[in-house]
Amino acid sequence: MGDLVFNAAAGAVFGYQLLWVVVVGVVGIITYSEMCGRVAAVSKRAVFDAVRERLGYKVGLVALVAAQIVNLMTLAAEVGGVAVVLRLLSGLPYRALIVLGVVVLVLVIWALPFEYLERIFGYVGLCLIVFAVAAVKLNPDWGAVARGFVPSAETGDLLLYCYFAVGLLGAAMTPYEVYFYSSGAVEEGWTPSDLRTNKANAIIGYGLGGFLSFALMISAGALLLPHGITPDFLGTVALMAQSPLGEIGLFLALIGMLFAVGGAALDVAFSGAYSLAQFFGWEWGKYRQPTGAPRFTLTWLVLFGLAGLVILTGVDPILVTEFSVIFSAVALPLTYVPILLVANDRAYMGSYANGKLGNVFGVVYLFVILVIAVAAVPLLLLTNLGQG
Amino acid sequence: MSRPIDLALGLLDHQVVDCEGRRCGKVDDLELAGVRDGRPVVAELLVGRRRTVHVPWDAVAKVDSAVHLKVRAAELRLGRGDDRVRPWFARLPLS
Amino acid sequence: MKLSDLLGLRVSTESGEPLGHVHDVRAELTSKEARVTGLVVGPLGVLERLGFGDPRSRALARSKDIVRWSAVVRADRRGVVVRDGTTPK
Repeated sequence: MGDLVFNAAAGAVFGYQLLWVVVVGVVGIITYSEMCGRVAAVSKRAVFDAVRERLGYKVGLVALVAAQIVNLMTLAAEVGGVAVVLRLLSGLPYRALIVLGVVVLVLVIWALPFEYLERIFGYVGLCLIVFAVAAVKLNPDWGAVARGFVPSAETGDLLLYCYFAVGLLGAAMTPYEVYFYSSGAVEEGWTPSDLRTNKANAIIGYGLGGFLSFALMISAGALLLPHGITPDFLGTVALMAQSPLGEIGLFLALIGMLFAVGGAALDVAFSGAYSLAQFFGWEWGKYRQPTGAPRFTLTWLVLFGLAGLVILTGVDPILVTEFSVIFSAVALPLTYVPILLVANDRAYMGSYANGKLGNVFGVVYLFVILVIAVAAVPLLLLTNLGQG
Repeated sequence: MSRPIDLALGLLDHQVVDCEGRRCGKVDDLELAGVRDGRPVVAELLVGRRRTVHVPWDAVAKVDSAVHLKVRAAELRLGRGDDRVRPWFARLPLS
Repeated sequence: MKLSDLLGLRVSTESGEPLGHVHDVRAELTSKEARVTGLVVGPLGVLERLGFGDPRSRALARSKDIVRWSAVVRADRRGVVVRDGTTPK
């Protein structure tokens, strides 16, 4: 949801000027997850194991609580997003669809083997490529698009520009993806010989995500900006595919959004369960039977229930998305720092510890992450929740 | 064959895994014996903050990024939290 | 004595010269036992001084100065006392 909302909004307000921020964000998430994957492959421990080991119980608990709050907000946003898309597809009442969405997701996760789930959500989610086609079909000023990859701020509202930059970075570097990725690596028993796959996975996976972000921003810049429309509704985002490509474009966009957001809900719920289980030392795993990891299972079930309740209060899912992205930017250092420390620890990592290049990226992004963590909430308030 | 280890960095807050590979808690503290006699050793692992289980050191098989035990979790009464929750799901289909 | 009791304790010599605080405990891991060989002693970091992290928080890089256990005179809840002339190496 964060990517859908922030990239479209950034395009609608600033056109192509923030495309370079997406690049920074994609390189950032690649750096972060490559480190996590490497730590997982070498030490056989996932993110929250490292958080607890490096920060200790008391300080680590702060990181855990912050992560859970952010996770719950994000899950609520995804659940709300699923309900909104279902309503656009079916016309059924929103509240009923929230309940339906949660129930179907829970049942599907419970009953189906995880490998199938990942494939279904992943492949159907690729329908979002329709936005890339739409972006081209909308015939944007490619010169202006190219200029967007060079940092510039030729606009009046600098504060709003910074807010969107922070939001885009926060949406690109959402921690839940990293918890999920590193836990998967441990569960699949990655070893140092898998490290090349690790790098390739990270680059291709997140690169594709970045490509989609470009498509969203360019489409918004080409279609929404000239008409002064801001994507306050997911329907408006879908419009970016419908306008140039007609009903088929709309349908593909909605289906893609449904499965991408649904898949994200799955990942977020599991990330919350991973974090809790790894911190306290419980059994965990996405390939496990529910009875094989009872407290882990209970956690993701409870998270879905709570997220559903939050969204049933009627709060706008777009607003929840904004808050979840901003607060995940604030919490990001709490899990990034332990991982950077572990990745550098030669006693832990042996010859696989961060090399000079790894540390250049690692430390540069530490700086970026600290800056956005500090700036996020002030910008949220100063720009009146991104309204400017 | 011996190697140096830092107790807070290398043992404390690390995962405890039983002989079947089951995760059963984290090392929450260590009980040291012989501190007064000048020959201190690690006597026990303390696992669990509220219902603490005292795991004698001789139950430890190996220490790498986790602490691996020689016995099954149940024998030491570890992993009880999961045991308590498991029955809630056991009767459901596809669990 | 628990490890958590030892960590963070003030370390000083018999004549009262302060050497720092216990950051970690060095041990030798054999197939039979984990025998304590020394203490990792260092200054209390800035965050701990502000009451932010607990002394076990290893998030801050610290200089690894080891005081051998053979130099320890007394270790209890009041602190660790080592023989005069001991310097962490």
